Amino acid sequence: MTDTQPDTAPDAGPDTRDEERAEERRHLERREKWIRRLPLLPALLFTIVITQVPFVFSLFYSLTDWKIIPPTPRTFIGFDNFTDLVDNQFFRDAAWVSVVMTASAVLLSLILGTGIALLLDRKFFGQGFVRTLLITPFLVMPVVAGLVWKNQVFSSQYGVINWLLNLVGIDNVEFVTRYPLWSIVIVLVWEWTPFMMLIILAGLQGQPTDVLEAARVDGATNRAIFFQITLPHLKPYLELGTLLGSIYLIQVFDQIEVITGGGPDSSNIPFFVFQRSIGGGWDFGAASAMSIVVVIASIVLANLGLRVLSGLLEGEDPA
Amino acid sequence: MNHSRPFRRRPVSIGAATVVAFSLVAAACGSDDDSSSDDAAASDDSSAASDDSSEASEDAPEGDRSINVAIVGNPQLESIAELTPELFTAETGIEVNYTVLEEQALREITTRDVGAGGEQFDVVQIGMFEAPQFGANGWLVPLDDFAADDPDYNPDDLIPAVADGLSYDGSLYASPFYAESSFVMYRQDVLDEAGLTMPDEPTWDEVAEIARAVDSDEMAGICLRGKPGWGDLGASFTTVLNTFGGTWWAANEDGTIGEAQVDQPEFAEALNFYVDLVNDAGEDDAANSSFNECLALYQDGKVAMWYDATVAAGLLEADDSPVQGLNSFALAPTKETDASGWLWAWALAIPVSTTDQDAAWDFISWATSEEYINSAGEMLPGGWAAVPPGTRTSTYENEDYLAAAESFAPKTLDAMNAAPIDNPGTTPRPGLPGVQYVGVPEFQDVGTRCTEQFSSAIAGNTSVDDALSACQDIASEYSS
Amino acid sequence: MSSDTGLVVGQKRWTSWALGLLAWAVGLLFFFPIFWMVLNGFKEEIDANSSPQLFFDPTLDRYRDVTSETPGLLGFKEAFANSFWIVLISTILVMILAVPAAYSLAIRPVRKWRDVLFFFISTKFLPIVGAILPLWIIARDLDLLNTRTVLIILYTAMNLPLAVWMLRSFFMEVPRELIEAAQIDGAGLRGQLTSVVMPIVAPGLAATALLCVIFAWNEFFLAVQLNPVDGSTMPIWVTSNVSTRGNFLAKLSAASTLATLPVVLAGWVAQKRMIRGLAMGAIK
Repeated sequence: MTDTQPDTAPDAGPDTRDEERAEERRHLERREKWIRRLPLLPALLFTIVITQVPFVFSLFYSLTDWKIIPPTPRTFIGFDNFTDLVDNQFFRDAAWVSVVMTASAVLLSLILGTGIALLLDRKFFGQGFVRTLLITPFLVMPVVAGLVWKNQVFSSQYGVINWLLNLVGIDNVEFVTRYPLWSIVIVLVWEWTPFMMLIILAGLQGQPTDVLEAARVDGATNRAIFFQITLPHLKPYLELGTLLGSIYLIQVFDQIEVITGGGPDSSNIPFFVFQRSIGGGWDFGAASAMSIVVVIASIVLANLGLRVLSGLLEGEDPA
Repeated sequence: MNHSRPFRRRPVSIGAATVVAFSLVAAACGSDDDSSSDDAAASDDSSAASDDSSEASEDAPEGDRSINVAIVGNPQLESIAELTPELFTAETGIEVNYTVLEEQALREITTRDVGAGGEQFDVVQIGMFEAPQFGANGWLVPLDDFAADDPDYNPDDLIPAVADGLSYDGSLYASPFYAESSFVMYRQDVLDEAGLTMPDEPTWDEVAEIARAVDSDEMAGICLRGKPGWGDLGASFTTVLNTFGGTWWAANEDGTIGEAQVDQPEFAEALNFYVDLVNDAGEDDAANSSFNECLALYQDGKVAMWYDATVAAGLLEADDSPVQGLNSFALAPTKETDASGWLWAWALAIPVSTTDQDAAWDFISWATSEEYINSAGEMLPGGWAAVPPGTRTSTYENEDYLAAAESFAPKTLDAMNAAPIDNPGTTPRPGLPGVQYVGVPEFQDVGTRCTEQFSSAIAGNTSVDDALSACQDIASEYSS
Repeated sequence: MSSDTGLVVGQKRWTSWALGLLAWAVGLLFFFPIFWMVLNGFKEEIDANSSPQLFFDPTLDRYRDVTSETPGLLGFKEAFANSFWIVLISTILVMILAVPAAYSLAIRPVRKWRDVLFFFISTKFLPIVGAILPLWIIARDLDLLNTRTVLIILYTAMNLPLAVWMLRSFFMEVPRELIEAAQIDGAGLRGQLTSVVMPIVAPGLAATALLCVIFAWNEFFLAVQLNPVDGSTMPIWVTSNVSTRGNFLAKLSAASTLATLPVVLAGWVAQKRMIRGLAMGAIK
């Protein structure tokens, strides 16, 4: 740009020319920045307006004592809601359930999803049909999935599993009663394995075939090929699955309400927040404080996960 | 008028929607046109995207009256929707839009709507727990004047205990559509075979003894609720607790919540009794069972007795029931008190924010009248046995009803009349009257969270002692 | 390649056969609960609520029950139409917003693109139960309760982070040289998008849109909280069949089958495209 300008202007001293150029460059840079930003702005503004306004409300409520029933005026109480949480055993229990539920559901569905993707990545009779069967659980409404599993699969009276167990002479197992947390995890894994499978399947099909063939020609075992070529190639896909799975599974709510209706072994934080607020507690101050804690904890964890451990945010910075 | 605008200018153009989304300008979506007569027409041609422009400029004709009503998903309440066009709208010209919700969702939405002024509904269905509380909060229109001026309503015909339970300070705040108490249902044939007799007014010790005696691998002795929730396990258990002499909280002088009583010996005795009975002679999967689970078990011949809502009797004696004719009924079991059955009603009320109170009352008067019960008995496919029970004395004097419900109607009326609404236990309790709950708003939260602990104890995942101490902590959060 | 080739091939054929069989078994196992649900929709209520049985007299009565239209009640047709428009419009909005945003984050990235991307994802951290009261109050004050508009806006906000995140990774796959070439040819942003970027990322767009459709179609909580009256959606219609005093499993199964069918069909038809979309680079 500036190179095209002839350097031989007679009157202009070097100082003014430099200033002009600098001015022009700044102007261009600003313009350039805005051109870069402009396409981003609609989405960003929309998201800020729609998600941050309620968030600010929540932030405000979290500093107040406010119940709808019995109707009490909202009073400002500073950080009391937060300090109350510190020694709230039930909140700690719910936090622990959240961690166990999310971690195990994400991990199990990733492992299963990878295994199934490997099975599906080979030619066999009815491949497309089987893949179709496998993605279906992800498409079903969560409320419906919960009801079907509880009443028709797990139930010790009418459930299919116990019916089969009885056929081979094993006594009824009260799945939901005895293992509330794991019953929910099983349903979550059932719903999310197809999602993980799709992502991993995509990764497998993006594998460079020439590398695989070369490895085979070199006499590498299947095992070695999997661990040394396939798995590293799948890493970003596994990370994407972990990220998306965690974001959605930490918010699980419908399935808990439907399957166990809560309880010390299966109430996660969203369910506990629900109970403290519209679920019957009507204590919006405390419930908002819990939500804020969840947001902060999630941001910290996600930051650690994304920025330190993962390559998901790799990419070049603008020059 | 009302604020329900189900977004009737359907096929909204994408451009317009974008503008709305960006600017959040509510006005862009149109002025208040109420959801009324042409709504059904609109839904029929919604697939035809061509006529959107004409429809967008068309407003519902003024003068059409319509009301929004929120009801719970429950066979009796759903049948009212079917009869409305013919029996109500045709007579009055008032359109009724129903919102059918599952119990918990209905409670969330109506409480918030009535309490925080959402103005979504002109008539809400609330329970006996809410009615006097909402009335006391000034959220509902008192119905006495309407009732007195309405020749068709006949308030004196309402079953007194039910009307009392829906009143606050002498004013009726909700009109009962359906009411129930609790009692014991049992298989007469099973008890006969075992050579056992159930007294008409049994004690819990007698019931427990019979349950343990008839319990076998194929058939559990008794079905009791174990599913968490103040209206599930909380209801069944609180009636046991009351008659064992225990309670949730002591009452302060002024009727506010006093010390939590969960750590008292009576409470522990009641919970131990309940948990032991379920474990020894109760149904499988008890910690996940409530009304519907027990109903299915009982109809399938998997339990010999069942302690639950009186309305269940109508389902057990229905024509499609495999156990029709095999059942007998006994009053709710007692221990320290004379009566222990619960009292519950689903009732219709008018939020103060309703603009057309007369239309709302017209609807309530029709839906909860003797006349409705009579026409329902004749027109519903389920016949007389399917009419909403428990609200009016006249129902129990109606020969058609008695013929259809002869095996359980007298016992139901006895149970309703015996329900100790004003004095359920041995000690005074805080708040408004209530049997299977404490009439304070805090009970929703405490009842639900404590029954989660108790349910866990029934499942064997927590000890009864741990459940009690956790519950004492929960209940103490509200003591003053 | 010596004399044992035959053995290896034989063994391979056997393993391959066994793995195929295993895949079938797993597929059927995963599908079983849905199969069972569909089956229950054809039963009488009393049979659905008793011990499992494979042989029964199938009936269409439950489907008739749930699709019968009663004036004043949310019917199947109306719920379907509501869901259809809400999902369609919100998904289109998501795409309109997310495509340029992803361009800004991938192809000509703004300086703080990591923070922006993180911000988008972080909006999903607030438990929706915790935000529902503010949302309800805002909707009430703007007179948006019981409108489809409020659901369109919220579903757009709900799916936007996912879409931005996924589209960004697809855009990263577009060869930089192509875009530079287009720039040299004088193509503006729109020109670059339509002539160069879009054709390459099309399968990715389809995959993203389909995910948005699935999440929006199945959304229950916001719909029941903000729009439960007669303008409401399929999940509300499905759960209105749940009863607290009486059996409902067969009816619910029939309703669920109808409600799930559209997304299942869409998912089945689009699965290959979806995998291709995810594969074209899902992540970089």
